[in-house]
Amino acid sequence: MGAPVHGLTVKAQTSLEEVKRNTKRHRRHLLGNSISRYYFLFSILALCLVLGLVIVFIGKTALLLFTRISPQDFFLSFNWTPEEDAFGAAAFIVNTLSLTALTLVIAVPISVGMAVLCAEIAPKWLKSFIRPVLDLLVGIPSIVYGYLGLTVLLPFLRRVSGEGLGDGLLAAALVLALMVLPTICRISDDAIVAVPRKYRDAAYALGSTRLQVIMRVVLPAASRGIISAVILGMTRAVGETMAVVMVIGNTPQLAKSLFAPTSVLTSNIVMQISNVEFDSTWNYSLHMMAFLLLLISFVLILIIRLLGRKRRDA
Amino acid sequence: MKLFKKFTVTALTAVIAVTASFAGVAAAADSLKGKITVNGSTALLPLTLQAAKEFQKLHPKVKIAASGKGSVTGPQAVKKGIADIGACDWDASMDVPGFKAFDGQVANKVAVIPFATIVNKNVGVDNLTTKQLKGIYAGKITNWKEVGGSDANIVVITRAFGSGTRVNYQAKALGGGDIVKKEKNYKETGSSGDMKTAVGTTPNAIGYIDLVYVTGGDIKAVKFNGVEANTDNVINGSYKIWAYGYYMTKGQPTGATKEFIEYVQSKKFQQGSLKKLKFIPISAMQS
Repeated sequence: MGAPVHGLTVKAQTSLEEVKRNTKRHRRHLLGNSISRYYFLFSILALCLVLGLVIVFIGKTALLLFTRISPQDFFLSFNWTPEEDAFGAAAFIVNTLSLTALTLVIAVPISVGMAVLCAEIAPKWLKSFIRPVLDLLVGIPSIVYGYLGLTVLLPFLRRVSGEGLGDGLLAAALVLALMVLPTICRISDDAIVAVPRKYRDAAYALGSTRLQVIMRVVLPAASRGIISAVILGMTRAVGETMAVVMVIGNTPQLAKSLFAPTSVLTSNIVMQISNVEFDSTWNYSLHMMAFLLLLISFVLILIIRLLGRKRRDA
Repeated sequence: MKLFKKFTVTALTAVIAVTASFAGVAAAADSLKGKITVNGSTALLPLTLQAAKEFQKLHPKVKIAASGKGSVTGPQAVKKGIADIGACDWDASMDVPGFKAFDGQVANKVAVIPFATIVNKNVGVDNLTTKQLKGIYAGKITNWKEVGGSDANIVVITRAFGSGTRVNYQAKALGGGDIVKKEKNYKETGSSGDMKTAVGTTPNAIGYIDLVYVTGGDIKAVKFNGVEANTDNVINGSYKIWAYGYYMTKGQPTGATKEFIEYVQSKKFQQGSLKKLKFIPISAMQS
């Protein structure tokens, strides 16, 4: 802008050039905007297409199963002996659910405790140590956890329990708990940090102790965030394969004790898929198991979205 | 001056000779080109990769892609037309327990694969008979003291159904006997590597594996009916747990595929690289 005194003429002269330059720049911006808009749109559509293909392909092959056997035989029978045409997947479904539950029972108290420590209690140097370490743990490939479970955890469990094998739900749950711990901890940590300062100040002003503030004020205020952290950890636990395969024993039977070798949906798929003929009932039932896992994650993610929406409404 | 002349002549001759030999190789290579895809057994994969490397040196215009997943995927991939060669640890053109014959496929023998019964190093037993192995894998013998060891539960480790190693072990070592499926001390592993780790880290464990994997201190191979598991005993016929490895093809192989299989079966490869990889040449068993 020109100076206010002899502004008019100067301004008119410069503005003509400026307008020209500005329109050019403006057009360039517009072009850039529309190109990037189409690029993003294309990316999203491509992603949707691939996702859709995955769902359609797995679903289609999976549903072929019910032209061969009835849904009751698949969902309600505990007898999985595919060599003899028995395709009951109930044991895997129950085992998957109990493994996930056991994992969360172990992981949630520890990880939420760590999140509270990180967000509320720890001095700054400890925070700046714990957080990067947790981020690093997320990046370790799951097969490494599985191998450690096989070579370190299993011998330990054998010594403690006196079992011959040690494989089973407990070993798998411990490995999985270690894997989901950083996820749950870091997201809960963020949720707790996001609780406004004034809540704590108000509580302290009323004479609360630190424990009361954390238990009665901070955790309830951050509860939605913590629940989505738990669900995210759960999706990881449900779908995890390589680490589980190495420590669960891979025996298709219902887990009646914590140390009985058993099998879950993911481990059974990965153990058998490469040795199964293409157009067989066996192949279709493995696809059905994959489809079930897909549905489970889908439902869990839906729950997270719903929670998120409620939080914004509140 | 004379010296210089001599030097030039020598150099020229050398250049011509080298060019000629390169041209000769190139001319020979031109006659064969194509693409060969090999899929199937992981046990045969090291052999296939080594052979492919050597074959491509001889015939640079042939491209060979090899991958391994599991024995039955070999003949399956050939059936679907995904692969030209399906590597398989059993003759897939005939019925074997659990798998029907693949019609119209030809089995080309390429190697002899010995298998060994292995136990954890803490197990005191060093010989097992067919009958004892049958009992152990059928879940009838569950304690090591029943076969002459100390008083401890036997932990049975096996490969998943459809593994070539399992098919052969069941046929040769267990005399076609069953393998128990649901038992407390029973575990399935997905690959030879997992089998080795599992038997090595589990006290009182028994398993089975390709003989080439039997190295290191945590596992040991036990004698089978009193005969030690080694290549000499396989060749002289006293050790019975072994099988041919096959390249399955749709009909008789042709073109580059045929040349490649013939190269793997050639005396040069069988007596050279194949032996170095600790497989046994097929000629050793047929003579």
